[in-house]
Amino acid sequence: METLNIVVVGVGGQGLISLASIIASAALRKGYNAIVAETHGLSQRGGTVIVHVRLGDAEAPLIPPKTANVLLAMELIEANRYLYYLSPNGVIVVNDYIVPPPLPKIKIPARDELLENLKETSKKLILVQATEEALKLGDARVANMVLLGAALQNGLLRPFVDFESIKEAIIETWPKAADINIKALEVGSNSYSVFK
Amino acid sequence: MPRYPEVIAEKGRRVLMLGNVAVARGFLEAGVQFVAAYPGTPSTEIVEALAYASKHLGGRPYVEWSVNEKVAVEAALGAAITGAKAVAVMKHVGLNVAADPFFSSAYIGVKGALVIVSADDPWMWSSQNEQDNRWYGLHAYVPVIEPLGAQSAKDAARLALEYSAKYRRPFIYRSTTRIAHTRVPVETGPLPSPDELIPIGEFERNPAKWTLVPQYARQHRLELLEFWDKVRNELDTFPLNRVEGSGSIAVIGVGIGYRYAREAAKILGLEDDITLYAVSTSVPLPSRIIDKVLSHEKILVVEEGDPVVEYQLKIAQAEIGARIEVYGKNGRQLLPRYGELGLEKVVNALAKVAGTKTPEWASGNLPKQDNSRTLELPPRPPVLCPGCPYRSLFYALKRAVNKLRLKPVYSGDIGCYSLGILPPFEVQDTIIDMGASIGAGNGIARSLSQSQDKVVIAVIGDSTFFHSGLSGLANIVYNQTPMLVLVLDNHTTAMTGHQPHPGVGLSASGEEVAMLTVEDTARGLGVEKVLVADSFDISDSQEKLVEALRYVVEKRKPAVVVAKGACMLVALQNARRARVKPPVYYVDESKCTACGICYTAFNCPAILRQENGKARIDPALCTGCGECVQVCPFNAFKPSKEPSPEWLKIMRTARPIP
Repeated sequence: METLNIVVVGVGGQGLISLASIIASAALRKGYNAIVAETHGLSQRGGTVIVHVRLGDAEAPLIPPKTANVLLAMELIEANRYLYYLSPNGVIVVNDYIVPPPLPKIKIPARDELLENLKETSKKLILVQATEEALKLGDARVANMVLLGAALQNGLLRPFVDFESIKEAIIETWPKAADINIKALEVGSNSYSVFK
Repeated sequence: MPRYPEVIAEKGRRVLMLGNVAVARGFLEAGVQFVAAYPGTPSTEIVEALAYASKHLGGRPYVEWSVNEKVAVEAALGAAITGAKAVAVMKHVGLNVAADPFFSSAYIGVKGALVIVSADDPWMWSSQNEQDNRWYGLHAYVPVIEPLGAQSAKDAARLALEYSAKYRRPFIYRSTTRIAHTRVPVETGPLPSPDELIPIGEFERNPAKWTLVPQYARQHRLELLEFWDKVRNELDTFPLNRVEGSGSIAVIGVGIGYRYAREAAKILGLEDDITLYAVSTSVPLPSRIIDKVLSHEKILVVEEGDPVVEYQLKIAQAEIGARIEVYGKNGRQLLPRYGELGLEKVVNALAKVAGTKTPEWASGNLPKQDNSRTLELPPRPPVLCPGCPYRSLFYALKRAVNKLRLKPVYSGDIGCYSLGILPPFEVQDTIIDMGASIGAGNGIARSLSQSQDKVVIAVIGDSTFFHSGLSGLANIVYNQTPMLVLVLDNHTTAMTGHQPHPGVGLSASGEEVAMLTVEDTARGLGVEKVLVADSFDISDSQEKLVEALRYVVEKRKPAVVVAKGACMLVALQNARRARVKPPVYYVDESKCTACGICYTAFNCPAILRQENGKARIDPALCTGCGECVQVCPFNAFKPSKEPSPEWLKIMRTARPIP
């Protein structure tokens, strides 16, 4: 069996662990193995966060640099920070959103520069208005599901997960908030643009 | 209190579980009856999950958050002396705090069972050092069990408790960050009936067994060494230890190292060239495993942390005079001596031992943190959350210090407020260990050259204060050290995820219990000047701080300021529960002069700088704390609606929701 290495990155508080857990639960439902290595504790307080998700035939928890098949990024600066994990054939799915680090007097690269660097380093870049679409749905917290919807629509997580298994995992994990999360997933499946 | 329904899921299910929750499940399956712990990353969820189980199983097993790890180990040992199956859980540095009872426990042993969980944190994701607590096993003669990755975290926990009961000796369960915080599918086994989770201890009076006076301790020492030789000869049959393959190169996969070694061999196509020894009992390394391993000519040891197994092998090798190549982290250092294992590191090491080619992705040196050539990325360290009471308090502290023209040394401590190390506040000049703000602050205060503008300000959180600030405070009262102790009281242990502590009035499973206030405790310890400030009220905090600092400087005596205000994350949870909606603040651009005080000197993450220098509030991040209103000299911040009295009260008094 093959292995799919997914690196999930962003800023603490953007629902990265939830995103990773939903993917892993969905894979488990389809009978596949899953390993999710998370960032907890101090690092979560608005800091940079990386979660390693390995589906299929994997045993070790961490994804080595240059071997991630997919980079799921909830923020543009963080997508660039962890770009070194992406394999030369890797695909990036990124939220078109910048969270400036709250430090006084720091310089932040322009959006175009951040995007250009991602395009150069990947086989394919999928840009998603995840936060914007989530806010339209009334809850910024479901931006992670918008991003996931775009990744699924592009078949990036095959054969381990699909819309059906993700929806089941959502219903099981968040029974009270399933509707809005599934809606976000559907919105994500048709609001993205592809480069390359 | 977080929910962990999977910890009590029915048997025979395959559930995705966090490693720590799997550990909790393993202890439950083994019939644990007594649990004591102090929270600390990466160990915390073990006891949160056990508290969840207890809450749903009618208070069985008994679970408590103890005030610190020493007290937790003593409590668990006491329970185990009466026959209970007990565990004490902590992060690696917690065992330093608990070292005293831990060493004694090895001597006296137990009647029931005692497992001490040490969650080590290689590469210090949330810790002050990366100590490998397997040394404690060798040091104290306490066997160490390591799960073979999160995949066997549950079974290893169950077995550790069973083995401790079998030998009537304490065992260490050593986990690491990538076991604790890795989620994997776990097969649930049967749970005992809740009645079996109740301790039915009986204390059998026997001074020769339970008292460590010299005449008995000497006997215990001899028995301990006997036990050590015995267990060394028996642990090879520990159910998780196994041998895979029969190739000429021996690869010792210790704990999680087994997972890396196994996958590395597969990647390199070396499965037929190696014999893989999965070792879960790293201390003492069982003699039969040593014998088998030393029959190979080339050996690679893959272990997380220090070369603890490698040293044991090399000692045995020297004793028999074998000419064998043993590789690991010592000598040729095929694996780095710091940080965490990684597949690329193990692939690289194994390829070198086997003399094969390393794949390109694994061949490089250590990965750079950022390989984007063209882009300079800003750092993103963790910061105080929007609405954190510590931000307004630190702001008031800086103003108070400036007003009195003092040049303080900020003796720091361990908690969210450690983030005060960053600009613009920079109010953590030293961070050493839990409680050191007061302990080391005393030494700093006593050794500073005497001048009127120098003063030591110890900054410590409420949970840390109860953990190990009390003795430091008693010490400065006793020795009359002139220093200010600033206790940041947010009514919870915030950094580890909002556990209660003695100042909160809630037990681990959420029952109302006695509440010790910081101010009463300080007065009780003899501090004459104790002031209570409202962290969310900058002028009130500033006034109290000025008064206390003046007192310290003029009277040359200790003073305490207790700054109160709820953790904003907890306040918001309470507000949602009570259906109280906090206001959202916005910037009146006609008033904003682009002075920048709010986004530079105050630095709330919800306040952003616009192109023209004026401030803007991100409504998604604004918590409605209203601190910005007090900071702005031009009245540019306005609430969407007047904050309700209910919200103002919740901000100040909220406690974690059970």
